[in-house]
Amino acid sequence: MHAQRGLWLFLVPSGVMLALVLVYPLGYAIYLSFFNYYLGDQPRFVGFANYVSLLQDQRFWSSLRTTVILVSASVTLQFVLGLAVAFGLYKLTFGAKALNVLMFLPHVVTPVVAALFLRWIFMGRWGLIDSILIGFNIFPPDWLGTPGWARLVVVLAESWQFTPFMILVLYAGLNTVDQSQIESARMDGAGNWTLLTQVMLPAIKPLIIFVLAIRIMDAFRFFDTIYVLTAGGPGTATETVTIYTYAIAFRLLEVGRASALGVLTLLISAMAIGLVVLVLHRRDRGVV
Amino acid sequence: MRPKPHTQMILFLALCGFTVVQLTPIIWAFMVSIKQPVDAFATPPLLIFEPTFQFHYEVWVERGFVSFLVNSLIIAIATVCISVPIGTMSAYALSRMRGGKANTILFGLLAMRMFPHILLAIPFFVLASFIGLIDTHLAMILALVAINQPFTIWLMRSFFLDVPIELDEAACIDGCNLWQTFTQVALPVVRPGLWVTSLFSLLLAYNEFLFALVLTGPNSKTLPVAIAEYGAEDINYWSLSAAAAIGIMLPIVVFMMLMQRHLARGLAMGAVKG
Repeated sequence: MHAQRGLWLFLVPSGVMLALVLVYPLGYAIYLSFFNYYLGDQPRFVGFANYVSLLQDQRFWSSLRTTVILVSASVTLQFVLGLAVAFGLYKLTFGAKALNVLMFLPHVVTPVVAALFLRWIFMGRWGLIDSILIGFNIFPPDWLGTPGWARLVVVLAESWQFTPFMILVLYAGLNTVDQSQIESARMDGAGNWTLLTQVMLPAIKPLIIFVLAIRIMDAFRFFDTIYVLTAGGPGTATETVTIYTYAIAFRLLEVGRASALGVLTLLISAMAIGLVVLVLHRRDRGVV
Repeated sequence: MRPKPHTQMILFLALCGFTVVQLTPIIWAFMVSIKQPVDAFATPPLLIFEPTFQFHYEVWVERGFVSFLVNSLIIAIATVCISVPIGTMSAYALSRMRGGKANTILFGLLAMRMFPHILLAIPFFVLASFIGLIDTHLAMILALVAINQPFTIWLMRSFFLDVPIELDEAACIDGCNLWQTFTQVALPVVRPGLWVTSLFSLLLAYNEFLFALVLTGPNSKTLPVAIAEYGAEDINYWSLSAAAAIGIMLPIVVFMMLMQRHLARGLAMGAVKG
């Protein structure tokens, strides 16, 4: 096909853009991660010192632990709830479209605004929950000011925004499952639970792997919600790696060290996704 | 096997319940935004009160949220005007290339989408300070165009894949060159796809927070940064922040109505938030 020649020219504008604004800054960040560099000062080359000191930093490990807890709790909740609702919508013979659109709204709301909406629910004294409870003379805990509750609120806030995403994708997936497969399972007397777990889920396995990988990678870098809801607090109870990186870079202005932490985050999230894909694939082979 | 009517009813009610829970925070914020402080701080919460839109007017007009809206719009629209055309060209090329090269590029784009944004925010800030782009619209536009490229290309490519390659080949035989084939044959067919992609890119740019927090200042502050500052203020400003938050959400509701049919595809390609 001679028309194919010259096709690569179409890639040039995006390519230049990505090279200049994405790849070059990324390389620059990796370069900076080897320097002791306070913004405004002269950078000083320190080799791997930033990485070594981060690996010995208690706060780094605790932020990593917080990230893993928050990501696994919220992605699990979103997936289980999302699947339940998606299957419910699939079974529903009327009104599923309209409900799907309505329950989807939280997902497209600006994340910062969404976080504020949730803050006004959980806010002490005047928030929706507290003012109802206090109306009944029940005095609730300080949701955003107690480490355990604050983590739960962050998980709920994430799930409020991202369960609809799971629902939409899984609902679309369930609708692509071959009807004849479902019919034949029904003939064999399969109930709803067997139908879902033995027939439908295996059929949409690639979609599930894809959506979990996307969610984990996005959840790993979530920032907006926590920044507005708790800013990492109380103390460092909800401080994720991203929030910690932000604090180092833009509050302490230790740009070199923050870059090193960013590079570590990239490596860790790549490993996490690799692990998920590997585990789900392995199980796949085990069944077959 | 016909579904039994009463199980259908229970299922419907359960799903309605879930929907109501999902919508509660939005409804609550809307109610706060139209309450006088005296009603907003009532315990237990008042359901019946005399509504007022004075706070909507005050926050948008008197407190300058309109100018943040203008900044948000300038940045979002400019982003779409650059990002979608160049992304569409790449998407076309990638949908027409044969062999493994296209797959390598597509995988590379996916990997770029995976970059932690905070890792990019740091060099963006340092480089933008060097060349004096901090607190300009241009810095945000460049950052957002680059961030949105992988998503734009993947989504547009999925639309070009639906266009049979025979159509291109027929045009070739008629003597069209590559550019003419692209603009006169392929583009008109994917016009709906262009709309979908543009609206999604617009939403991504409108919602962006981290880069805006780092790169903008008094002259270029966008709505998410402004509302984050406001919401953190004293609770006395509650009605005002709620009014601003609801206002920021309104264009998104319009977006939802326009996009209903296309949500699944757009989201599968890259999710609304990065």
